[in-house]
Amino acid sequence: MKVSLNWLRELVDLPEDTGRLVDLLTLAGVEVEDIEQHGVAIANVVVAEIRESVQHPNADRLSVCQIDDGSGTLRQIVCGAKNYRVGDKVPVALPGAVLPGDFKIKVGKLRGVESQGMLCSAEELGMPKGEDGLLILGNEPAAGTPLGALFPSDTVLELEVTPNRPDLLSVNGIAREIGALTGKPVRFVGPQSAVSGVDAGAGAVQVASLERCPFYSARAIRGVKVVASPEWLRRKLEAVGLRPINNLVDVTNLVMLELGQPLHVFDADVLEGAVRVRCAVEGEEMVALDGKSYRLGAEELVIADGARPQAIAGIMGGEASGVTERTVNVLLESAYFEPRGIRRSARKLGLSSDSSYRFERGVDRAGVLRAAQRATELILELAGGEAGPVQVGGNVDALSREACVVGLRAERLCSLLGVKVEPARVEQILTGFGLVREGDGWRVPSFRADLTREIDLVEEVARVFGMEAIPAKTQARFVPASDTDGRYDVAMELRRACVAAGLHEARSITLVPEIPLGLSLTGIGAEALIRVKNPMIDDQVVLRPNLLHGLLKAVGDNFRAQAESVRLFEVGRVFFRGEQEEGSRLAMVLSGALHGRSWRGGQGREADLFDLKGILSGVLGSRVGFELKENSALALSLALTVGGREVGVLGQLWPADARALDAKAPVMFAEVNLDALAQAGWSRGGRVYEAVPRFPGVTRDIAMLVPLGLGHAEVVRVLESVKEPLLVGVELFDVFADASGEKVPADRKSLAYSLTYRSVDRTLTTEEVNAAHGRLKEALAGQLAVSFRE
Amino acid sequence: MDQSLEELRVTALAQIAGVGDEASLEAVRVQYLGRAGKISAASEAMKSLPKEDKPRIGKLLNEVRGAVSGALDAAKAALLAKADQAAFAGVDGSLPGTGLPQGSLHPLTQLQERAIQIFRRMGFALADGPDIETEFHCFDALNTPADHPARNEQDTFYFGDGRLLRTHTSSVQVRTMEKVAPPVRIIAPGAAYRRDEIDATHLAQFTQMEGLYVDENVSVADLKGTLEFFFRELLGKDAQFRFRPHFFPFTEPSYEVDIKTSALGSADRWLEIAGCGMVDPAVFEAINTRRGDRAFDPEKVTGFAFGFGLDRLAMILSRVPDIRYFTDNDQRFLAQF
Repeated sequence: MKVSLNWLRELVDLPEDTGRLVDLLTLAGVEVEDIEQHGVAIANVVVAEIRESVQHPNADRLSVCQIDDGSGTLRQIVCGAKNYRVGDKVPVALPGAVLPGDFKIKVGKLRGVESQGMLCSAEELGMPKGEDGLLILGNEPAAGTPLGALFPSDTVLELEVTPNRPDLLSVNGIAREIGALTGKPVRFVGPQSAVSGVDAGAGAVQVASLERCPFYSARAIRGVKVVASPEWLRRKLEAVGLRPINNLVDVTNLVMLELGQPLHVFDADVLEGAVRVRCAVEGEEMVALDGKSYRLGAEELVIADGARPQAIAGIMGGEASGVTERTVNVLLESAYFEPRGIRRSARKLGLSSDSSYRFERGVDRAGVLRAAQRATELILELAGGEAGPVQVGGNVDALSREACVVGLRAERLCSLLGVKVEPARVEQILTGFGLVREGDGWRVPSFRADLTREIDLVEEVARVFGMEAIPAKTQARFVPASDTDGRYDVAMELRRACVAAGLHEARSITLVPEIPLGLSLTGIGAEALIRVKNPMIDDQVVLRPNLLHGLLKAVGDNFRAQAESVRLFEVGRVFFRGEQEEGSRLAMVLSGALHGRSWRGGQGREADLFDLKGILSGVLGSRVGFELKENSALALSLALTVGGREVGVLGQLWPADARALDAKAPVMFAEVNLDALAQAGWSRGGRVYEAVPRFPGVTRDIAMLVPLGLGHAEVVRVLESVKEPLLVGVELFDVFADASGEKVPADRKSLAYSLTYRSVDRTLTTEEVNAAHGRLKEALAGQLAVSFRE
Repeated sequence: MDQSLEELRVTALAQIAGVGDEASLEAVRVQYLGRAGKISAASEAMKSLPKEDKPRIGKLLNEVRGAVSGALDAAKAALLAKADQAAFAGVDGSLPGTGLPQGSLHPLTQLQERAIQIFRRMGFALADGPDIETEFHCFDALNTPADHPARNEQDTFYFGDGRLLRTHTSSVQVRTMEKVAPPVRIIAPGAAYRRDEIDATHLAQFTQMEGLYVDENVSVADLKGTLEFFFRELLGKDAQFRFRPHFFPFTEPSYEVDIKTSALGSADRWLEIAGCGMVDPAVFEAINTRRGDRAFDPEKVTGFAFGFGLDRLAMILSRVPDIRYFTDNDQRFLAQF
């Protein structure tokens, strides 16, 4: 909503300083989005007539002009523009003028020729940029006329009016608000005389949908003369960005801006038969005033004549019945349309107007006929003609809303605001907004349909009272931590552990393509995906069922951006069909060099699955285990377990899949189900002290040849099965196989373990260690096909 | 004997003084102090001396052994010190460090964590709710009428069953009040979704922080105190505030919070940072109906709620020009934080 301060000043005294007015409105909840400066308010800029123009003796691009500035003597000015002719009138900034940008005009010399001022373009005067060169003013203004007289200065505010305040969509309404905030009286605009000539019975207007249009009025005005509007009217419209059309249309726009009631004029001679307010027939078409054809549905309310729609009710008139210079007889519409229907149709048709903007927020019912009266008076004044009776359709009673009286308890107000507000202050504030005391409550005026409850009045008082005057309180009751707190802390600890392992935290959009990357890697089928009904783009169609799409995409993106390695993790929500629809996951991807190339020698080793396994052990601690898990979608695949329960998966992508991602190295990933982890009783905290060893340990190595297919886990299982109390550590320190069969047989591999023995209460003797070690070797030899290497 | 011992001392010390490496030094040690060494031999020879000579010669022998042994130790220390010097002489201290790869927390996580820690110090607990929400939790219970502009398919992601992706974290207010009775004092960080065209300042998904305090006698003064304290802790003591009355369906009175502070690079310009207000009685009544009790009787309890976007705040604080950087997962970006 744009409002001109010159216009507003006709209704209410404004603070001298625009900044103060802006603050006043802003702190009362009416946000000022933009401040436009219109016209010219610069002293010493006047109209000049160019009498002579000759080539500058020393500069090809300059001319030397003699101008008449109205002073009686000619003035010499050097000028660079080319768009004028001798005899044109243009603005001249005389010495002493200060142009925008603090550009002071002085007498000076340009290439040796004196210049006593400057001829100006529109832009140089701070006006919107026009054609290149000087601003040509036409012949009318006399030389010497101050430019401010031709272009009166004005300040136009662009206000952001919240949807609950349709009453502010008019100059009257804004003046009322300012009056209430400053205490200044308001001179409201309105009709000269009371509404008269209402003819409810004639039946010239039929309203088929009272729900959508509770009240409709049409007034015939015959014998008008359609011409351009007078200067004052055109100026008002232009100030707020409306294009003047003709006196009839301009009057309806003016009254809409003044009172907030949209109006429409039809060329009455185009209409065939009585006016009907009805819903459109599905498929009916109409060309609107914007020149576009609209195909209407049964939901659209139209103003029709006997033959066809002539306007989309409350949104835009039809081109066919629009007022032209040939129009003689008009029909002036003023109505109340139900907001919801207008909003729906405007959105559906993709057509919004100043009219629909107001109707969809709700206009003042009590003002419908006053606006028609005001417009009639102005039409008769500016276009002549003779007004007929006001023909109405619908229900006149719909215009008077039930008296709304709202209570406001002083103690409630004070306890909600947290500060004492004097009753006199409350009285002053509410009265300023047009409320009237009635018994224990307040009668709310018709234009404030947003005030229906006590809390609404509290807000009005709070708005004017201001936050500045309310103290800042910093006490509150204690509340216990929630389950969410616990989950957050776990997630945060895991994040920090991942960072300590050298991973960067990623965050991906939860909406992913129809076929997300890595869908099958965690064993999810496409049937589990949750699809958005109205996606915006193809890349964001379903909710991610695991965290892999974002991370795998990042693998390719980072490699393409010349990364040597990709080390990322993400903690976030996943979504899938089922009872528990949303889950919490931690996922990692690892690919490429473990270290950058360095002066210590060579390129770092490429990460493999065992590096990721190590990272997971570090992040999740010793309580997690790993088990082999079949997954044909992966080259290598393991399950992550806690107490035998699966809580996650990790694996290495098939090289072909890694290549498809543009990865330059093997790609490993892991995903941990944080919900399952919590259910398995896993936590990082709450650990209990374990005695630090006081006696030295003894290590013994075992090197052995085992069948190629025998796994490390099998060796560990056998060692553990012995339940040797002195054995405290098993470390695999060498794995070696030789396909050529030269160093070890081709069907065997060499495993080397370091076993650590220790007692909590004594230093072990060599004999004790040898005996224990012998028992373990015996178990290995007995249970597995191993041969020891000495 | 006396003379031969003196000669032994002189030769030994001269020999030690002339040694230039540890191996030769060891050889000298063996030559004199070893089992078959010259000093051992002299010691052996002493056995055959007359009794009266023994104390004098013995003393002399000890002196010589001590002198040789001391000279050997000193020479060894000198050699080691020289080797130590040599070991570091060629080291270029200006070589670059070769640490382990460094990880990083996402900038949004870092900001969210800072915010959470401040609110926790103020006594707030965390709360959450699902991203896939019902219209009731996202709109109806929050006093947002059926024809409100936010509720159409232009602006909001819907699912076939009529549910939607929450458009704000305010739905967590409803979820929380359904479950617990006052006092409620929560913050809820989380994702929200809007069908915006994606550009430098808009993503389909963004991160919000919601807050709610409901108890007896909670007032606008509590709201003001809480938000001013929080943002001063987050953005610095010089932060100035402006509570601009505004309109939200679920709070009344409602405010937008503007902040001026050097941390946001706006010491002389108001930046809109948060929305807030007193919980609308209609919200409490919707909750009561749902709960089937009067735990949130608006005559007995009042409350305030607030919300702000973490993405925009992080963009301003870290001078990030494009919101998309937060979800591009480019390690060159992530490693900066």
